[in-house]
Amino acid sequence: MEIRLIHLCPDLMNLYGSYANVRVLSRYLETCGCTVTVETAAAGEALSLAGADFLFLGAGTEDAAVYAAGALSPLFPQLRSAAEDGMAMLFAGTAMDLLGGSLTDETGKTVAGAEIGAFNTTYTTRRITGDVYGHTDLFAPAVVGFMNKCSRTEGVDVPFLTALDMGAGNTGPGTPEGFRRGSLIASQLTGPILVKNPALLQWMAGAILARRGAEAALPPVPEAAQKGWAVTEEQLRLRWQERK
Amino acid sequence: MRKFLAIVACKLGRLVGRAVGKGSSLPGKVALKICPDILSRVKLPQHIIAVTGSNGKTSTVEMIAAVLRADGRRVIYNQEGSNQIEGVTTLILTHADLRGRVGADVLLIESDERYAAHTFRYFHPTVFVITNLYRDQLTRNGHPRWVYKALLGAIHDDTTLILNGDDPLSSCFGRGREKVRYFGLGPCDFDTAEPTGAYHDGKYCPVCYAPMTYDYVHFNHIGAFRCTGCGHHKPATDYTATALDLKEGRMTLDGKTEIHLAFSSIYHVYNILAAYAACRTAGVAADTVARTVDRYVLKNGRMQTFRLGRHHGTLLTSKHENSIAYDTNLRYIRQSAAPCSVMVIVDAVSRKYFTSETSWLWDIDFDLLCAPQIQHVYLAGRYCNDLSQRFSFTALDPARWSVHPDIAGAAEAVKASGEEEVYVVTCFSDREKLLALTEKEG
Repeated sequence: MEIRLIHLCPDLMNLYGSYANVRVLSRYLETCGCTVTVETAAAGEALSLAGADFLFLGAGTEDAAVYAAGALSPLFPQLRSAAEDGMAMLFAGTAMDLLGGSLTDETGKTVAGAEIGAFNTTYTTRRITGDVYGHTDLFAPAVVGFMNKCSRTEGVDVPFLTALDMGAGNTGPGTPEGFRRGSLIASQLTGPILVKNPALLQWMAGAILARRGAEAALPPVPEAAQKGWAVTEEQLRLRWQERK
Repeated sequence: MRKFLAIVACKLGRLVGRAVGKGSSLPGKVALKICPDILSRVKLPQHIIAVTGSNGKTSTVEMIAAVLRADGRRVIYNQEGSNQIEGVTTLILTHADLRGRVGADVLLIESDERYAAHTFRYFHPTVFVITNLYRDQLTRNGHPRWVYKALLGAIHDDTTLILNGDDPLSSCFGRGREKVRYFGLGPCDFDTAEPTGAYHDGKYCPVCYAPMTYDYVHFNHIGAFRCTGCGHHKPATDYTATALDLKEGRMTLDGKTEIHLAFSSIYHVYNILAAYAACRTAGVAADTVARTVDRYVLKNGRMQTFRLGRHHGTLLTSKHENSIAYDTNLRYIRQSAAPCSVMVIVDAVSRKYFTSETSWLWDIDFDLLCAPQIQHVYLAGRYCNDLSQRFSFTALDPARWSVHPDIAGAAEAVKASGEEEVYVVTCFSDREKLLALTEKEG
């Protein structure tokens, strides 16, 4: 099966090792027997999502996210259609902010979002950083990661992480985090969230393959990925228990 | 009265701290509690030189101090590296008399880049060196642009800025400013035509986001840049290094003075350049600077040698969460001609705070270790599996790297095989865990 992945703005929106999400997903799909091609498109470049299986946009600086929101706005109608059509997508870090109704920077300047979600994001001058240990309804293992944002997102109806034991969510500490619509996941958790969370990697690959009608069982993730998650999960869980 | 009490408390706290081997922040913290505006009430030297930036602060400050002292000036600086307002307050009050007069010709400050605006609320440097702004400790700093904005608040109109003209972001501080001087490095034989590394922060203009072009790149995105949109470009440099030969370990400053490098790293070159620019701006003769920095061996202990079984070893301290620091050390290892092995240790991400964040590993160009003389790479520490995942996406033959959760186990594996040079790349947080297993040389 030939799978087409699209990586939007691979240099502009590439903080915290975001690109690793595409690398690890691509390799995992290859272990599933797929032939994978990765297309990249810079902000403002013409792009057709027809026939695409997955789209990724990574974390950028807040200024870059505002710039990207403007430059990518011609693509927004296609993004909405693809989301309604069940295409798998991942928006990491500040990329999530492009999916709502609007994005307002710290000076008050507002740009329109893709309106896939009914939420609005506002950037502030206060940075929120810290490890995150949370849970999603999509799979059993805890989701681990790191939050590095200076924003508040109001109005998310379906979050990605429904419960946080540790860390900050959309509207503050302990609140639900991220956004989900079908097979589209957005999370402010920075960096290589698919590397750190093999269960999410498998879920995402499963969503891509299911949309193409493939129903075979997914192969295991590499041992290092599972062990890496286990170490971080243990470290964060112990930290959380200490704080309780 | 509060001023007097703050000075006394700080001096006493410093004495006690030194006696018990404690850090240099607490006395200043106490003084600031007693008198929050104490830094506006002291009489500071006429010359205040501050150094900030992501990388190279400590080394640059050390060399500036050495040069100024060689020039006969009385210099005080925060040698222990406590570079936020508390540490700076300790430095100042420790060297002040009870009336608050600081006895020195030059106050030299290594300043944390993110909190510099806080430190310089009540006074400002006469000369402010900004070495560079790279991805560094993103878990606390956010990203370089966030730090850039935070630093803007620390820059006073009266201050002369000394900026790295080869860095697209930190050179922005000088746009439209009169009191600014730039340092930079001319073309080198190892330059590339395009930015290198695992990510490309120099792909787009930091001013307008249009694509950038490069005449040459020394490393990562540092070089002669030009924006295709707004025209932001590498400025003409006031202090320039040329004829850099990293193999022979020498370069020429301002076309006149040849300097020999004790440590053949481009990182060190930029630190020397920054120190040279600061000292020249402070009125030191070029010859005096050259005499001091020539073959200068840094005393900050970031490079240590040891023996491990039949192996001679060199530990290169690389700050975790700082990909350019790692890249620079990996590039140094890649330059070595003799067969060698490498150990990378990530056991505790930070010595100052807890985190399990390892995304920065994906910012490091570990492909630099794909070199024929590098025989084996040992990945060690608690986060060895994260390292393993990262290495699985390099071009290194998997047979040439191994994973060791236990640092002692990695050390044993090294001892059990061969007698080649071993380079260890790790952070302050982890280096003693390895050095404790070795015979230290220096």
